[in-house]
Amino acid sequence: MTELHDTGERRRTSDTPPSITDLIDEETVRSIVQEAWSALIGEDELLVPLPGGLPENAVSSWVHVAGPWNGIVVLTCGRSTAEQLSRELLKEHAPPVIEDEDIEDALGELANVVGGNVKAVLPGPSALGLPEVGSAPVAGSDTRRVDLLWRGQSLTISVQGSAGAPLDQ
Amino acid sequence: MRALVIDDSRVMRRIVAGILEDLGYEVQQAGHGREGLDVLNGGWVPELACVDWNMPVMDGLQFVSAVRSNPAWRQVTIMMVTSESEHGQIVRALAAGAHEYVIKPFTADAIRDKLALLGLLPEEVVL
Amino acid sequence: MTLTATSFDWVRALVHRESAIVLQPGKEYLVEARLLPIARQRGIADVSTFVESVRSRPDTDSMRCIVEALTTNETSWFRDGDPFTALTSTVMPALLAARGPNERLQIWSAACSSGQEAYTIAMLLVDSMPSATTRVSITATDLSREMVARTKAGRFSQLEVNRGLPAPMLVRHFTRAGNEWEVAPALRRMVTATECNLAAPLPRMGPFDVVYLRNVLIYFDLPTKQVILRRVRELMRPDGWLFLGAAETTLGVDDSWERVVVGRSSAYRPIKGK
Ligand SMILES: C[S@@+](CC[C@H](N)C(=O)[O-])C[C@H]1O[C@@H](n2cnc3c(N)ncnc32)[C@H](O)[C@@H]1O
Repeated sequence: MTELHDTGERRRTSDTPPSITDLIDEETVRSIVQEAWSALIGEDELLVPLPGGLPENAVSSWVHVAGPWNGIVVLTCGRSTAEQLSRELLKEHAPPVIEDEDIEDALGELANVVGGNVKAVLPGPSALGLPEVGSAPVAGSDTRRVDLLWRGQSLTISVQGSAGAPLDQ
Repeated sequence: MRALVIDDSRVMRRIVAGILEDLGYEVQQAGHGREGLDVLNGGWVPELACVDWNMPVMDGLQFVSAVRSNPAWRQVTIMMVTSESEHGQIVRALAAGAHEYVIKPFTADAIRDKLALLGLLPEEVVL
Repeated sequence: MTLTATSFDWVRALVHRESAIVLQPGKEYLVEARLLPIARQRGIADVSTFVESVRSRPDTDSMRCIVEALTTNETSWFRDGDPFTALTSTVMPALLAARGPNERLQIWSAACSSGQEAYTIAMLLVDSMPSATTRVSITATDLSREMVARTKAGRFSQLEVNRGLPAPMLVRHFTRAGNEWEVAPALRRMVTATECNLAAPLPRMGPFDVVYLRNVLIYFDLPTKQVILRRVRELMRPDGWLFLGAAETTLGVDDSWERVVVGRSSAYRPIKGK
């Protein structure tokens, strides 16, 4: 569990929003993602907490969280990883050819599921935005990032505070 | 039995619809609350509606309120299926008239367990 | 290296001796899957090497870990529904009428897994017969230390609360604790969790008015089922109620029970004089 540490630092900066690293730890983010994978992708789909390299054609999906904490929850992985994830999500309901629209939709939905659960750990109440898909908004210094391997392929989840760094462009 | 699945993600719609169809439901899908209301207004009034919360045009909470304000749709049991998982949000959805709440991520078993609670498991399904 | 026949047989015998759980031949994959994480934790790459090292130099902790890893802890809230609705519709009213106004009632969730069964009972009592709750205590027991600890903690993952817990009960009795949900202190106080091996002589407990012995007899052979049913009966009040899992029965196992229909479920009651 994460808690706000009542340090002198926090008192001094009480009018600036709390830093994400004080609000959520790596283990909590990892367990949220693992639960999403176990339930939606497959019971035995283990995510290994190791950094890999993201391929050049990496895609991201993200959702905004607006409330006492403001920022985005971003999921990033390679294009082919995203396609496999879509196929695994749909399982026997997957069409023979997965269209780009399905891949984007699936990736967005995974960000939504992870984002909703991250939001519930942060101070609330807050609102969750609709998923967006594209190239990742640049992360600022106020970021809690978790690198994972799924079937040997890397994916990253980052929870990025909107304070301290520009989000889009 | 009939079920309406409302979610802006078509992948998620297919997953939920697939689970319900496997249980013997006849399913229609809608991409947001307004589309869902259109289905009901068209005369297709199901026993069950599975509704996401965050959607464009009309969100799940507005859909729940709209359905509950029409006595003709009293028979529709509403189950939220959403990644909104704050305690207070679940309270709001129940207060608005949703009967059950499934938090994403879920498994097929979770949907089945909830339907059993609601008495909405088709008879022929053997546990 | 895959699991050798000798390793498998040794694990099978150990698990049977310590828990009475019967691992049928052909369950090698299960042993492999359940023990691999433990082997890895100890820096051993494969299951056979791990099993052989414990076999050649047995230590109680490793053996216990092996046995616990081979228990199946699958459970859910209101599992099968009816055995729980029967509690408040029939069983509790009958017991309250039969007992004096200050007599305590004791309920046992034997083989409680992570505690969903015990807390289902606690929530039902608090919600539908609040005046009786001060008189009721719930004992939850399991072979597995991890499961007992989890029951004590009363914390459940998102996936676990999704499994059969009615949303109104979730919001009434739970608060968020990080990524998990934590049961209210008032419910936790009603439940006492301890370790207990059903396949060994039972500790002094009870006497119990109601026993939930659900989805655990299925793992045992006939003689073990008979012994357990007899021991459980000795810890029950003569007019007590026993609930078994949907695939379990006393019929053809132990004829000292009478099967009674309660609502859409059935319960078993000790036959006098047997
Ligand atoms: C499938 S779970 C059933 C949980 C719950 N009663 C239910 O119906 O959902 C079986 C439980 O039995 C426990 N168990 C197995 N062998 C046991 C033994 N010999 N003594 C006590 N508990 C045992 C396991 O640890 C596991 O938690």
